[in-house]
Amino acid sequence: MRAAVFYGLFAVVTGGLLLQNMPGEEAAAQDVTQEVTQDAAQDAAQDAVQDDSSAVQAAPDTAPATPDATAEECFESIKGTTELSKKNNVVPKYGYPNVKCSPTTGAVLWYGDPYDGTEPMGEMPSYGDKTDGDFAEAVIRPRAEHLKTIIQTNMQCSVCHPSADPATLPNDPRQLMMHQDIVSDPQNLQHGRGAIWCFDCHNAANRDALVDQQGQEVSFDASYKVCGSCHGDLYSDWRMGLHGKRTGEWKVGGKKRWWTCTECHNPHTVQEHRFQPIKPEPPPALPRGMSEDDFKGADEHGGH
Amino acid sequence: MSEDKRKSEMVKEQDDGKEQGNGKVKESRRDFLKKMGVAAAATVAAPAITSTTAEAVSLGETFQTHFELMSDAQKEKAIARLEKRYTEQFGKQTTVANTPAPDGVLFGYALNIAKCIGCRRCVEACVKENNQSRDPAIQWIRVLRMERGNDTFELENLHKGSPDSNSLGDYGIQSGGHADKHVGLSGAAEHYYEPEQVPEDNAIYFPVQCHQCEDPPCVKACPVRATFRDPNGIVVIDYNWCIGCRMCQLACPYWARRFNWGEPELPNEDMNPKTHYLGNRPRMRGVMEKCTFCLQRVREGRYPACVEACPVGARKFGNLLDPESEVRKVLATKKVFRFKEAFNTDPKFFYYMD
Ligand code: SF4
Ligand code: SF4
Repeated sequence: MRAAVFYGLFAVVTGGLLLQNMPGEEAAAQDVTQEVTQDAAQDAAQDAVQDDSSAVQAAPDTAPATPDATAEECFESIKGTTELSKKNNVVPKYGYPNVKCSPTTGAVLWYGDPYDGTEPMGEMPSYGDKTDGDFAEAVIRPRAEHLKTIIQTNMQCSVCHPSADPATLPNDPRQLMMHQDIVSDPQNLQHGRGAIWCFDCHNAANRDALVDQQGQEVSFDASYKVCGSCHGDLYSDWRMGLHGKRTGEWKVGGKKRWWTCTECHNPHTVQEHRFQPIKPEPPPALPRGMSEDDFKGADEHGGH
Repeated sequence: MSEDKRKSEMVKEQDDGKEQGNGKVKESRRDFLKKMGVAAAATVAAPAITSTTAEAVSLGETFQTHFELMSDAQKEKAIARLEKRYTEQFGKQTTVANTPAPDGVLFGYALNIAKCIGCRRCVEACVKENNQSRDPAIQWIRVLRMERGNDTFELENLHKGSPDSNSLGDYGIQSGGHADKHVGLSGAAEHYYEPEQVPEDNAIYFPVQCHQCEDPPCVKACPVRATFRDPNGIVVIDYNWCIGCRMCQLACPYWARRFNWGEPELPNEDMNPKTHYLGNRPRMRGVMEKCTFCLQRVREGRYPACVEACPVGARKFGNLLDPESEVRKVLATKKVFRFKEAFNTDPKFFYYMD
């Protein structure tokens, strides 16, 4: 009881100053009573509806501030690349959602289940480093389906682009008729500084896939095979887990979601900016009584 | 602990509470001790105690010993008590885990400052995961913004903050500057930055959180050992044992500790109900808190929340004792430094560059 004695003495000295009546306590006590009833109701509802998000909604007052919670969408690294919808049914008993989104930037901040929507990454070409085998448990979020039915059209790339014989394709880049939002001018494609163009990565024979340097078809899910063929050092770091993002388990050999190259970098603009610029989350609150000006140019300990 | 046993104990505690007249009043250890102290000073101790501690839950919490000294049975009891309280308070099923520290693990962290874009997603993710108070807002991670390059030795900056006429002569001796006005620009960092977009040109970002020092000054400074180092090298706090003296905050060279000046406000719908006794369970007013590398997650094998939130993968986490782990590979292959190395705190938090 050292702490008790210490605090007792502390309180004797400063008690008069510190002792406060806490009006919040009464109200809190009432809240508790209310919430217990709700909790019971919620429990009953959950028993009835095992794995449905309606269990949470059955007790409407438990989450009054988020009536549209189920409709909320947020993105992962790049806006427009991987969007997730907030669902409230990961573990109905605890009532937490699959993801939590930032109200400021709309980015995913929190994962209820890091493997939600993932599938095994599959085989990785051997590379001769010691991490061979560490991808046995690797999962990725598949991108191929999303890219096939790209942006609103709900059509696969191959609908507009029937397979072409690579041999009959023109050898020179020409002005794009479509997709100028992706690449404004293929003659000035920044990726590779003019050394490569669309069909160095996109498979002319099957537009729903990519192609590697040897002419082998590569799925959009395995874009790292294409990227890695030029960026060997980064690819090696990525395989070791030193480059790029992973979520899941920290243990070596643990189940991890590997983030593939194009989940963080837009290959068409990567030379302008490695990462798409994003809006930052808001700054911390200023200490009470301080104004913005007090901190202009202040050093890191100015806020103490 | 089995459900039945836990339930029966809850019921018992509730009954105890009813005997005293009111089963709902919450009273924390420090409220009780405050009153006891004052009461003792006024020499009317006995009636004051009986009237203000009418509840078994608060009694149990008040006389709870240090977590490390508790027997298993005491721990179970304390945890059941907390689970019941949080479940009621937040209106959702809350667990307070007591997952033990895994064997043969020393947790380490590596952060790539060449990659960090200063987006503060890590900060927000930490708040959401660790049930930090939204108002007054508490954040365990700070992201500092610095100008690129070191301008200290440019003549123009050399005299920044110096008196106009230099009493020491014209030897370039720095005599100006004060706490809010640095001399020169070296090391100048700002954490209230708010640009439209990040990353900005000419800025680098430097996130700081608890460094989980091997030789932690905060632990040495704590008069009651409420903060201590867990077997995995994470410095933790027994919030129930913390007396709120803030000695650790003063001792920490990394500005890593936060104090709950007010009653923490945590919206029910935003509360994370998966908690750990030493990690992210809701705190009370008057206690210290800090980053624990998301102890509730990492003891179950998961990455900390900031690692999962960082959109650029600047954050790496793993077992320093395993040469194949991501942190060890960073240490082996990258340019690595530790913050404020001269303090000999031996952080397990490393900064690196490609
Ligand atoms: S960084 Fe500060 S709070 Fe963290 S262990 Fe070191 S001294 Fe303690
Ligand atoms: S989330 Fe990553 S990039 Fe953003 S501030 Fe934190 S460490 Fe830097």
